[in-house]
Amino acid sequence: MGINGFLVQVLATNRVFNPSQSNLLLRMEKICGSLLYELQIIWDEIGESDAERDRMLLELEQECLEIYRRKVDQANRCRAQLKQAIADAEAELAAICSAMGELPVHIRQSDPNPESLKDELRAILPQIEEMRKRRIDRKNQFIEVLDEIRNIENEIYRSDGFASNDPAIDEADLSIKSLKNCAENCRHSKRKVRAFYDYCSHWQLQDVATSLLELWNLMDTPIEEQQIFQKVTCKLAASEDEITEPDMLSVDYIDYVKAEVSRLEELKASKMKELVLKKKAELEVICRKTHLISDKDSAMETAIDAIESGAVDAACLLEQIELRIARVKEEALSRKEILEKVEKWMAACEEESWLEEYNRDDNRYNAGRGAHLALKRAEKARALVNKLPAMVDTLASKVLAWENEEGIEFTYDGVRLLSMLESYTVLRQQKEIERKRQRDQKKLQGQLLAEQEALYGSKPSPVKNQNVKKDSRLSCGGASKRKLSLGAPILQTPKRDMLPSAKATPNTRKAKTNVRINQDRLKDDGLSALSSGRRVSDKAGLPMKQQSPILVKAREPESPMLRRPFTPISTTNLSKPNASNISEDLNKKHNEMLHKAVIINNTPFTPPPKIISSADEENRTPQTTAITLPSTPSTVSVPMQTAITPAPLIQTAIIPALSVEDEIEYSFEERRADLCCLDHNQ
Amino acid sequence: MTAAPPPSTGRELSNPPTDGISNLRFSNHSDHLLVSSWDKSVRLYDASANALRGEFMHGGAVLDCCFHDDSSGFSASADHTVRRLVFNYNREDILGRHDAPVRCIEYSYATGQVITGSWDKTLKCWDPRGASAQERSLVGTYAQPERVYSMSLVGNRLVVATAGRHVNVYDLRNMSQPEQRRESSLKYQTRCVRCYPNGTGYALSSVEGRVAMEFFDLSEAGQSKKYAFKCHRKSEAGRDIVYPVNAIAFHPIYGTFATGGCDGYVNVWDGNNKKRLYQYAKYPTSVAALSFSRDGRLLAVASSYTYEEGDKPHEPDAIFVRSVNEVEVKPKPKMLPNPAT
Repeated sequence: MGINGFLVQVLATNRVFNPSQSNLLLRMEKICGSLLYELQIIWDEIGESDAERDRMLLELEQECLEIYRRKVDQANRCRAQLKQAIADAEAELAAICSAMGELPVHIRQSDPNPESLKDELRAILPQIEEMRKRRIDRKNQFIEVLDEIRNIENEIYRSDGFASNDPAIDEADLSIKSLKNCAENCRHSKRKVRAFYDYCSHWQLQDVATSLLELWNLMDTPIEEQQIFQKVTCKLAASEDEITEPDMLSVDYIDYVKAEVSRLEELKASKMKELVLKKKAELEVICRKTHLISDKDSAMETAIDAIESGAVDAACLLEQIELRIARVKEEALSRKEILEKVEKWMAACEEESWLEEYNRDDNRYNAGRGAHLALKRAEKARALVNKLPAMVDTLASKVLAWENEEGIEFTYDGVRLLSMLESYTVLRQQKEIERKRQRDQKKLQGQLLAEQEALYGSKPSPVKNQNVKKDSRLSCGGASKRKLSLGAPILQTPKRDMLPSAKATPNTRKAKTNVRINQDRLKDDGLSALSSGRRVSDKAGLPMKQQSPILVKAREPESPMLRRPFTPISTTNLSKPNASNISEDLNKKHNEMLHKAVIINNTPFTPPPKIISSADEENRTPQTTAITLPSTPSTVSVPMQTAITPAPLIQTAIIPALSVEDEIEYSFEERRADLCCLDHNQ
Repeated sequence: MTAAPPPSTGRELSNPPTDGISNLRFSNHSDHLLVSSWDKSVRLYDASANALRGEFMHGGAVLDCCFHDDSSGFSASADHTVRRLVFNYNREDILGRHDAPVRCIEYSYATGQVITGSWDKTLKCWDPRGASAQERSLVGTYAQPERVYSMSLVGNRLVVATAGRHVNVYDLRNMSQPEQRRESSLKYQTRCVRCYPNGTGYALSSVEGRVAMEFFDLSEAGQSKKYAFKCHRKSEAGRDIVYPVNAIAFHPIYGTFATGGCDGYVNVWDGNNKKRLYQYAKYPTSVAALSFSRDGRLLAVASSYTYEEGDKPHEPDAIFVRSVNEVEVKPKPKMLPNPAT
């Protein structure tokens, strides 16, 4: 095929090209034809052989084809490049969109008829540009926020160096969400800073408010002045977010309050002397209350005087006094228990002396106004007086223990307490001796009278009788006079001393009244062992006389041997002659034993077995014989020893439940537990 | 088997506690015996087999113990704790605490609660079910006039005896305040209080060798039945030596009761007929606690010095378990009919 054939084929594909392109191709065809024609002519002239002509035409064809192929390849490459460009662009767009977390504004529409590649590229490029621009903007926003955070944190953490690098930005996440997070962090940091400043201001405020309160307290500032700053001081306990008043945490306001504090401090300095004196007075009051002598420190006195001259630092002095006050308060605390006991002891001594007075009063049994009250008081006083020796002993041992522990003497208003107790004890002993002497004398006199009666009949001579009567009356109510005549000091005369002498002259009205009252008493409280004992032996299983439980305070030792006024008389005593003498003897014995018992009680633990007097025993004899305490088990059923309100008639009242040393009772387990604790402590 | 007669005091349990015994109790389901001691332990024995089945150590002396069922129990300790003990797993946990040593503990089957009395002058009720968290187990705290010394439960009634001779009677269904506030009829410190199994009243013993029989019914008729009697005393040279009565235990079937005192004797009494039925042979030292088994055939006696005379050398602490014969505990009605009861 020749060139012409080739051209014909080209022309056949003309429809692909547009008219201008077709024209070009036609022109090319024409030129090609003319050139080929020229070639024919040249060859004819040359006289080229056909083979040579074919060869050259083939060459020509090949070369033309080569050129066409090259052009096609070029176009192909161009197309590939375009496609790549588009793909790249799309990838970049996708990356940016994912990083930013959003789609481009112009959303690509998927065309059923795909546009040409160049169109595609044309379409995508502006989108990319847009997103790139947005990314840069976003990044800038991040940088802004992160810079701010870094600055704030530098401020908070006081890092002096500025970071040379830009704050780290995560390129992969530039989404709004991330930006919002950063912004939130930033705000958080800001809040931290603000809170920190607020805290500082608040702390200052609190500090200043505390100073205010201290100064007010120290100087007794009037309420009106305090009111001005009330809103500050009342917020002392509030936290920062509770302070809602505007500007309270502002610097100005704080300065204002600070100014007030400094004003007060100046005032304080000027009032120092006053304050020091006030504190000194406080110290003295505390000392007085705890019966300590505040050591007159002459040095302090001169120091106080020197305050005004400015030679002495008042604040320092004040501190010294404060320290002393604190020390004295501590001491007061350790002295408290003993002081309380001293109060009780003194109260008991007062009652003791009141009782002495009372006993000396002739008219105390007259039913005058308040006589019954006095009677009650006397009864209580007697009980108290009985406890006195024990009280004193306990107190003395406690004081000794305290002195040993503290290493100093326990003083009471300047006097050593132990010496006070000692002198009291000595005095009491002296009184006791005197009392005994009195009793001995009376006994002697009683015996004399009895002898007289026996010798001379029941009525002694009128003169003697009168004397006797006088004497007896004196002895009843006026023992004090006798005592005075003896020149002995005024002693306490317990009532028990009275009655024996009263019995010796049974005709005196006093004795009669006593007996009558006693009998009434017998009926009333039914505490007599006799009546209860008797009734018990009659029937088993009695109703308890007392329906309502009786609250028992410290039980007195009641002994039928010791016949105290208004206590039941047991038959044993009445049946015996010279009851008075025996009573007196036993009275003495009882006192001794009581004292002994009291001494025994001061041991830490008291044995439970209690001794019950024989009088009680007597009442129970009927039952006692019935009960066997067998060593071999017996099957004999035995009636219970029931009783109405049991009157424990206990001689030496060694009661584990109520040991005299404490007024608090303890069970065995409690004491044992204490021991265990002691063991552990050791 | 050599036919050696059992000693008159009963069979002594092996592995007794090494210090004083504060209480012992038989289980309601078996012959297991729970023993609390000053050696800080709670021990579980099988009394019939004479075997130690479990031991729990506490932080301080254990002052009381009680069973929940046969597999668990509770303890009250001087270390202020109230503990639950699970026997099979040898596990214990703290149910709660008081502010001072816990002296008494009881478990109420009626309410399913544990009740404790302490020297901190309070009663506390605990719910042992479910959570072991201490805050949730405390049901209520009830102030007492004084330190709690003894407690006893029967049905829905709780009797609490404190120092100062106070006695409070509570209805467990309404603990907000006592049903009755009473004072001991006896003049000396209360030692022990135990309710009658028939729920009509309680027996209260003191340190002065005396027991009072009281009744809940406050009417004239009810109170007319109450009385007190002397016991655990010794006559010597015309005088009486008086001993604290530490323990009271009621026989589950006959309603008679045994008392144990610091004189080392155990007496059995018939409260209705006001008679003593029996006295067992003397034990080596004070009788600290007593308990009848659920069928009343066994009596556990804690022979353990109770420190009534302070710290002094004493016989070793021992637990005796003796068989109970009917003749020792069965009431003997009066010959003559008693019109009023």
